[in-house]
Amino acid sequence: MNIGRFRPGRLLGAGVQRIIVVVFAIAGVAVVLFPAPAQRLFRTVGDPLADIVALPMAHMASVDRSIRDGWMHYVALQGVREQNRELWSRIQRLEGDLNQWRERVLASERLAALQEFQQHAPISTMAAKVIGRSASNWYQGVILNKGDEDGVRVEMGVMTPAGVVGHIVRTGRSTSVALLIIDPNMAVGGLVQRTRDEGVVQGTAQGHVRMKYLPPLSSVAPGDAVITSGLVGMFPRGVLIGYVSRVEESEGELFQVATIVPAVPVRQLEEMLIVLASQPSDVEMSLGVAGGAATSRKPAP
Amino acid sequence: MRVGVFIVFLLLLFPFQATFVYSLSPWEIRPDLCLITAFLVGLWAGRVRGVIVGVALGLVQDVFSASPLWLNLLTKAGAGFLAGTVAKNLSNMESPLAFFPIAALSFVWGMVFLLSSRSGTDAMLYSAYTLLLPQAVLDGLVGIGVHWIVARWIVPAPAHEGWARVSQGSVWR
Repeated sequence: MNIGRFRPGRLLGAGVQRIIVVVFAIAGVAVVLFPAPAQRLFRTVGDPLADIVALPMAHMASVDRSIRDGWMHYVALQGVREQNRELWSRIQRLEGDLNQWRERVLASERLAALQEFQQHAPISTMAAKVIGRSASNWYQGVILNKGDEDGVRVEMGVMTPAGVVGHIVRTGRSTSVALLIIDPNMAVGGLVQRTRDEGVVQGTAQGHVRMKYLPPLSSVAPGDAVITSGLVGMFPRGVLIGYVSRVEESEGELFQVATIVPAVPVRQLEEMLIVLASQPSDVEMSLGVAGGAATSRKPAP
Repeated sequence: MRVGVFIVFLLLLFPFQATFVYSLSPWEIRPDLCLITAFLVGLWAGRVRGVIVGVALGLVQDVFSASPLWLNLLTKAGAGFLAGTVAKNLSNMESPLAFFPIAALSFVWGMVFLLSSRSGTDAMLYSAYTLLLPQAVLDGLVGIGVHWIVARWIVPAPAHEGWARVSQGSVWR
């Protein structure tokens, strides 16, 4: 391929080419054996490159969004689509509010005897825009336009007012990568709101979300809301993850597994909130006991 | 000048992949344009340039990906290197034939990604059927298209030493 006047093949003899390949192979092995220096080197080289690439990516994302929006408006009726979008966002907002209220009601009921009520600690969040999505099929992630300079750190949670979206796995100077909750590599502590059973919520290869390690005697049922347990620092307790759609109870298995429909359509999101600091409510944390209410279920559609 | 254009092309390739290609992906399967590019550069321009382009594209992908560090860099550089090696030992490669090496590489690198993830056996088997094979086929098909376009309009005469010998009549036709 004549990609210019520079021809390494002419400048470099076959021996030098072999040396380059050998050096590259050694570097590959070194990366595996010495991950920490490799990561530092990666940041040193990758950050400036990320800044350069992020610029056209942000513009392309907005062009892509405009084209997609224009196309969708043309195909679908514009008024209906706008109305649908408004209603959908309102439902998301209301579901988020509703869930927060449910949690507050549950907490106040359980603490009535102690005559103490403590509201959820406010969550410090930062809005971020999606400027790109996972380039490969192997990881379900999004690229956000906030990075180290904005205070974003690895392991911070990502959410919307309606619920959990994922968490930050990589940060650059001005960008970051968030792994979505539907990815098999993402896991977060979950709590069935009605039964107070805890488990691990994890994505699946099929793009669903499952809650594992539920006690075999748990009465978890389809429609139950699943919230974050707050035991891991990414999210405070009480952020909605989704609703149980199916419960698998295999004979001889030690635990039950529930399939969850995420509360947030994570693949379609264009803006998200990064959880900068979450302070789990002391009241909630001190209560590991049952105390649910029938309200913590998704209303029938 | 042409080097500059090519560098700009490389810098825009990943943003294009992460925005437009994501929106256009059929059944949520996205072709790996970086892999295809690294392979075709290796095929036409030789191992060294294939490795250089593979390293650059893989690094960008790693920066913006949730995958383990260096994985894209190593696999894309490997694609460029292997393509250069293949080209050195081939007299010529018609566009349709590009399907097989690209699909094979896509399959193998996909296996590497699958093994590097923390998925269980069931999930891996499921991914193999629903992601690995379709993506390998799609990569191969897109590779044919790109190969044809490049061969037809951009680089009619390969600069690679193996094919250079072909054009001089020193290797079988």
